[in-house]
Amino acid sequence: MSILTSCRYVFILTFSALVLSGTSRVYAQATDTTAADTTSEHKVKKKDLAGHQLSIGFDIARPVINSLVSNQMGYEFAADYYMHNELYLAAEGGWGSSTVNYTDLKYNTKNNFLRFGFNRSILTRDRPADWDMMFVGMRLAAANVDRTPATFTVIDSVWGSNTGSSPGKDFTAVWVELTGGMRVEFIKGLFAGWNFRGKILLNNRSFNDLAPLYIAGYGKGDKNVVFDLNVYISYGIRWNRKSLVDTTAITK
Amino acid sequence: MTKTNKYLPLILFALCVIGWVACTQERDPCLTPKIAILNVETQHLPTDTATVFVDTALPAAVFTPITTIPNIAGTLYPPQALFTLSLSPDSTVCKWSFTADTATNKFDTITFYYQKSLKFLSNACGYTYFYNIDSVQSTHNIIDSIHILNASVTNNVNTNQLQICIHTHF
Repeated sequence: MSILTSCRYVFILTFSALVLSGTSRVYAQATDTTAADTTSEHKVKKKDLAGHQLSIGFDIARPVINSLVSNQMGYEFAADYYMHNELYLAAEGGWGSSTVNYTDLKYNTKNNFLRFGFNRSILTRDRPADWDMMFVGMRLAAANVDRTPATFTVIDSVWGSNTGSSPGKDFTAVWVELTGGMRVEFIKGLFAGWNFRGKILLNNRSFNDLAPLYIAGYGKGDKNVVFDLNVYISYGIRWNRKSLVDTTAITK
Repeated sequence: MTKTNKYLPLILFALCVIGWVACTQERDPCLTPKIAILNVETQHLPTDTATVFVDTALPAAVFTPITTIPNIAGTLYPPQALFTLSLSPDSTVCKWSFTADTATNKFDTITFYYQKSLKFLSNACGYTYFYNIDSVQSTHNIIDSIHILNASVTNNVNTNQLQICIHTHF
């Protein structure tokens, strides 16, 4: 493992720890405030009253981008499940393709991808039924990319142009993402929101011979760090919702 | 969140997405040289008895590729000691004709023997060839000797690959 790769992993771990630590403090602060509001003679035991929610959505920005950017296409779906303490398990997936048709370079790629990780809400709930959220999260993602043979032309004004081809290749791209965003419930059960993502490619050495122009789910394949945005519309399925306040008072 | 504040970030975000898509280029600009560059420096001994070569600005040097492509003219340089050549991607041998001054009728032919390797630069720049020089030969009307300083010919513009030593009284 190179020093650069080691540094990258250390950075990712450190940043993730800081993010988690920060969000825990925000949550703890909210908890403390609530507790301080109660009578000192009562010890309040907080329960997570939010119930369960499975949210399923898709990225509505992709079809728009697909129609505006001619050489790439991608679709993306997302799901998350509320665990407890404002922690959500997240899974996302999709597929896409790209066409490179320059005068000196031509090839096509297609790929599908999966991401797994978590989101942590950093907003205190107004009430248990409040599912609006601002969040931070992390993902580990992988895509299998299929590239067709590439034809290229080396244009040389002195010696003349030289044309050749590079054989097709299948490979796997692996990356991590740090994400943050928000979503709001604008109709009962229906959410709109956005994610901002910073992505770090972990196996960039795999692309030395010809990095794909576009990897759906990641972005530009010849960049080691990319930033991306998603706009999701999603629907939340809920069950086991409980009452607004359910504190257990214990008299000393 | 209040209802007013709820939708403001979404509207702002939608505007950002539209702006981002509008500014997306079909192809990124290529910011590196697309052709491998062979940098040549010319030197000569100031006197017959001197042992140290000094940089020599040639008054009106002309380097001309010897190729089958029609209408390829040579490059006439102003007085200078550093020149830029390239190698043929079609072959592993190529020749350049060279004169130090257009006022003279003396020419030399420089022959390069090399290996080439295909190199992917980026999607913005495409492919190119990098080279490794095996040997260089020349006639000796103007040229005294040729030294390979760095056999690797890439798109790094800051490396001098070749040193051409001119006869003392060129």
